[in-house]
Amino acid sequence: MAATDDAFEEIDFEDDDDLDDGAPERAKQDADAERTPSVVVDDVHVRYRVFGGRKRVSGPEMGRIRAMFNRSRRHVGAVTEVHAVRGVSFVAHHGESIGIIGRNGAGKSTLLRAIAGLMPTSSGAVYVAGTSSLLGVNAALVSSLTGERNVMIGGLALGLTPAQVRERFDDIVEFAGIGDFIDLPMKAYSSGMAARLRFAISTAAVPDVLMIDEALATGDAEFRERSAKKIEEIRGHAGTVFLVSHSMRSIERMCDRAIWIEQGQVVADGPAREITAEYRKATKKG
Amino acid sequence: MTSAERGGTAAGGPSELAQLAARSGLKKVGSRPGLPEYVRTLWARRHFLWVLSTSRSYSRNQNNYLGQLWSVLSPLTLAAVYYLVFGLLLDTRAGTTNYPGFLTIGVFIFMAIAASMTAGSTAVTSNITMVRALDFPRAVLPLSVALSEMLTLLPAIGVMIVIVLLTGEPITVTWLLLPVALVLILLFSAGCAMIAARVVVAARDLRNLIPVAIRLLRYVSGVFFSIEAYAGRFEWGFVLEYQPVAVYLTLMRSVLLQDVAVDPTMWLTGLAWAVVLFLVGFAVFWSAEEKYGRD
Repeated sequence: MAATDDAFEEIDFEDDDDLDDGAPERAKQDADAERTPSVVVDDVHVRYRVFGGRKRVSGPEMGRIRAMFNRSRRHVGAVTEVHAVRGVSFVAHHGESIGIIGRNGAGKSTLLRAIAGLMPTSSGAVYVAGTSSLLGVNAALVSSLTGERNVMIGGLALGLTPAQVRERFDDIVEFAGIGDFIDLPMKAYSSGMAARLRFAISTAAVPDVLMIDEALATGDAEFRERSAKKIEEIRGHAGTVFLVSHSMRSIERMCDRAIWIEQGQVVADGPAREITAEYRKATKKG
Repeated sequence: MTSAERGGTAAGGPSELAQLAARSGLKKVGSRPGLPEYVRTLWARRHFLWVLSTSRSYSRNQNNYLGQLWSVLSPLTLAAVYYLVFGLLLDTRAGTTNYPGFLTIGVFIFMAIAASMTAGSTAVTSNITMVRALDFPRAVLPLSVALSEMLTLLPAIGVMIVIVLLTGEPITVTWLLLPVALVLILLFSAGCAMIAARVVVAARDLRNLIPVAIRLLRYVSGVFFSIEAYAGRFEWGFVLEYQPVAVYLTLMRSVLLQDVAVDPTMWLTGLAWAVVLFLVGFAVFWSAEEKYGRD
């Protein structure tokens, strides 16, 4: 049902033609809202268990019996606890858009889910003003049903009422730009079309705190442009936006602050351009 | 801890951050709501529950030519197979006058309850991506499992009524109790689904025992034989008769079949099982609400 979820996780989109940034405007917004925090993350740790595999433990001093025992442990009782987020603290304010950067497996997505309240924290706490939501209704959609039906499912999954979904239905279809395909089952869609519809549904409800996990890495150039505008519009209403991305360009373009995470801990936190420059230097990436 | 340079205004210990959050009126994320609050949010999401349930039972038969016709054809073929095996080959007809009717009711109702338990046990673990992507009362998942199995049962009920009529049963006043029995069965299976979902999240190895438990239930619930006729001679036969699944099979049979009397004690037992299991299941499921989504 949600097998497509990961397909978009690591895609990078590099070709941003116009790099015009609304930085001065945003700085003004920040000054206005500087005093009111919208998200407080207080020493958050997230641990979760993974079933079906164990990390290999081996050492030179390990006896044959123990090695054998360890080998068998990969098949029976194969449970590993992953300590994905290790003590992250920061404060986000209204009107801020924050990019979260770091290598694959640094704990960015897990942190985002913890902030959204979707993955329980094992210690520490997250405080949020108003409603928060993670952009992504992929999981609720049923690929064997029509796009029309999925708009309803996705909208309701986001917490809209049936009346609200019907009211926004035309806008969603319009925005997704998939035309007649709305009457066909979603499995008949090309991956780009499906992604557009998902994005259109996801952005139908506007929360106070919006979290985006690389959702922009979908669709053609025209649609990317449209979605960037939509994000900007949401940011106007939402107050606070978190964006996880591997594309430094989109972080610089969309965010005014960046948090760099490595192995579940904050390495650096500050103005987006400075942090991305540091990160680029550290990873030797163009 | 090691959070190096903090941007923004607040830098300091955890308690300071908590104080800042409290001062600004922020709400703590991911804490379990109280029971009344939980029921309220669940009620607010009733449309989501409904759409999720209907789409699940609908999408099941949408991937072939006959489509939704299969929701009637599958139970029909199933009834034929069971009649062939138990009615003709193994002859377990003792103690029944209308065996085809008796068997059809037993098989269909049992299948629905068993399917709720099976799918209910993985309601959270198999929808983990959804749990990790969307914010909703998690009880929606096991509840929608029970509801969609009930919706799948409805066409089968139609088949059941046709078979019962074809075997010469008259339409009587007791048929009015049919919806009541279905509601009790829905409550019962929802309770089972919630308990199973919670248990499998806590100890997922138990998922492998669910099919075993269901097989056991199939043989002790009088699906294809009359408990009265076979187990009645044991002193503890009443245990078999009053266990919930057997009770619901008897209730359905007493509604549709003339030779099975409507027994008030049975109805009260059925009501008690339904209410108790639903409430206990709901409380048990709610008690771990903030923990779902970890593994």
